[in-house]
Amino acid sequence: MPWSFGAERAGDESMEALLLAILKAVVAGLLMGLVFALVALGLTIIFGVMDVVNFAHGEFLMIGMYSTLLTAPLLGVDPVLTLPISGLVGAALGVLCYFGLIRYLLRGPVIAQLFGTFGLMLFLRNLALMIMGSEPMIVHKGILVGKSFVVGPGIVLGATKLAAGALSLLAFWGAWWLIDRTKTGKALTATSLDKEAAMYMGISTERVNALAWALGGASVAVAGGLLVNFWPVDPNVGLLFTMIAFATVALGGFGSIKGALVAGVLIGMIVQAPPVWDAMLRLAGSNAGSGFTIHSFKYTFVYLIYFLIMVFRPQGLFGWKQ
Amino acid sequence: MEAIKNAFDFSDFPRLDMGVAGAALAFLLVFPALPHSSFAMTTMIQFLMFSLYGMGWNTIGGYAGQVDLGKAQYVGIGAYTTAVMMVRWDVPFWVSMPLGMGLAVGWSFIIGYPLFKLKGHYFAIATIATSLVLKDLFEVWDFVGGAKGLELPLRGNMPDFLYLQFREDYYYFYILLVMFLAGLLFINGFRHSRLGFQLRAIKDNEDVARSLGINVHWSKIKAYAVATAYVAMVGSFHACYNFNIEPEDTMSLDLSVLIALMAMLGGAGSLWGPIIGASILVPMRSYLGSWLGGQAGLAGLDLVIYGGIIMLIAAVQPRGVWGIVQAVRAKRRRT
Repeated sequence: MPWSFGAERAGDESMEALLLAILKAVVAGLLMGLVFALVALGLTIIFGVMDVVNFAHGEFLMIGMYSTLLTAPLLGVDPVLTLPISGLVGAALGVLCYFGLIRYLLRGPVIAQLFGTFGLMLFLRNLALMIMGSEPMIVHKGILVGKSFVVGPGIVLGATKLAAGALSLLAFWGAWWLIDRTKTGKALTATSLDKEAAMYMGISTERVNALAWALGGASVAVAGGLLVNFWPVDPNVGLLFTMIAFATVALGGFGSIKGALVAGVLIGMIVQAPPVWDAMLRLAGSNAGSGFTIHSFKYTFVYLIYFLIMVFRPQGLFGWKQ
Repeated sequence: MEAIKNAFDFSDFPRLDMGVAGAALAFLLVFPALPHSSFAMTTMIQFLMFSLYGMGWNTIGGYAGQVDLGKAQYVGIGAYTTAVMMVRWDVPFWVSMPLGMGLAVGWSFIIGYPLFKLKGHYFAIATIATSLVLKDLFEVWDFVGGAKGLELPLRGNMPDFLYLQFREDYYYFYILLVMFLAGLLFINGFRHSRLGFQLRAIKDNEDVARSLGINVHWSKIKAYAVATAYVAMVGSFHACYNFNIEPEDTMSLDLSVLIALMAMLGGAGSLWGPIIGASILVPMRSYLGSWLGGQAGLAGLDLVIYGGIIMLIAAVQPRGVWGIVQAVRAKRRRT
């Protein structure tokens, strides 16, 4: 019968599409996940050292994105070369926030810290809105923009995403080296393990806290600088990344740097996975053409994962802080 | 009987407080008769709504000390129950409001049970996550109108007390005022109730409370349910008052935070705190917004100021306006 023949061929095609979708999701998820890991790194450092959750984390990212976007044409160099500037801006912002606000919040109850950083988030977001306007912006010119590599049939890797993944890994390694191999980094680790004991050893808590905010701000701003090459920036971009960072940190374990890397990649894959599921749905033949796609839920999964991990495994994959 | 007596028992406040409260109530009662702009009326209704939201939040966030940043999901459940029932089955407000409250409270038990295994920051962020998940679902759910939301049908004969449709705002104002007073009395009774004392014990020290035989987990869930009932009730009212609801304005994180902020600015864990907070923030928000929003290049300045105030309060006096009043009084008593 001719019609069964046709159906079989269609099945084969969607099988191929499914495999391709899986391959794409893994590659894209890995690259995106490395950037997510770098975003989460700052949050986890700050949390590990002083138990403060920074709601304005996504806004730091937004500022990092804008600073790359604006300084590149100003200095006439490629956006990739302005990453150190983003890092410096982020570090300065972190230190400023610590001495201007967080230091005072630490004296109060938990509720004061939550609201204080939330106020910071509103403040930074709307300041950006006043200065930059609400139009989404993206880097248009650069050696990476618009270039791509064809890896296999149907798999195209954007150069910007590839560079973002690789440079994120590099920045992550830098932060790890700083924390694990230098004396200052060891002071940081000591304070997060036991604040009092570290104080008796002559480590200034104030300076370590400021350092944690500088490192946290710098890493997230660099992530923003990488992200702006392929992700449009507008003043409201922060909240999504704040939530992704929370989910990543929860999955990896609050305060764990290794956890942030592994969890970032996992979350990246989860966010990129829905096309695979949609391909599976098409293969199963259900819902075809109804317009319903799991794709539109891709960030809902991130929130759901946060909730489930917090309830069932609060210490995360590699967490030591409870 | 005891509960009713407790609800009217304001004897632990000094006479000055009751005088101020009485004057404020008298003002609220005659406000619609005074000459006012329609903008002032809208602001006043907003004030009453946010006072009720804040009173509800205060049970879990203030008395029990659990920072809940996910109240908007219950506002949404209340609002959507009323709207869906009115659009699809022509159910009057006074039937759909209790149903919405019931649905929201039921959902709050399901969410609350796992949620209250968490504490502090973890709890706060998890409440945000649950609220965002629900909002995402509502945005794609065709039955409730998706991201575009629902438009309530206009009925012919106004004023319609069954379906809460009026041409003049003062009807809404007085109905809301009745809810406000009932809510205030209920909270006052709640304050003196067994649960109220248990919650304050939990806030002070959870381990000690547990050792005294309080079921900490269950007490928190009950307080969460009370808070939910309040916000769902106001959510239902919001649907009728606005004629139009969508996930963005009933379930957003901004609303959750605003609710908590009202209570915190006034003073979390005190009877008057949420009302004081709403009386400061709501007029400031609407007047600043309308004054600055109209001017080009200044969009967002109101929220910048807002964020600045939040940071200032959190850093200087986390116990809010009521905390300042208490501190001044304590100082005067000492000297």
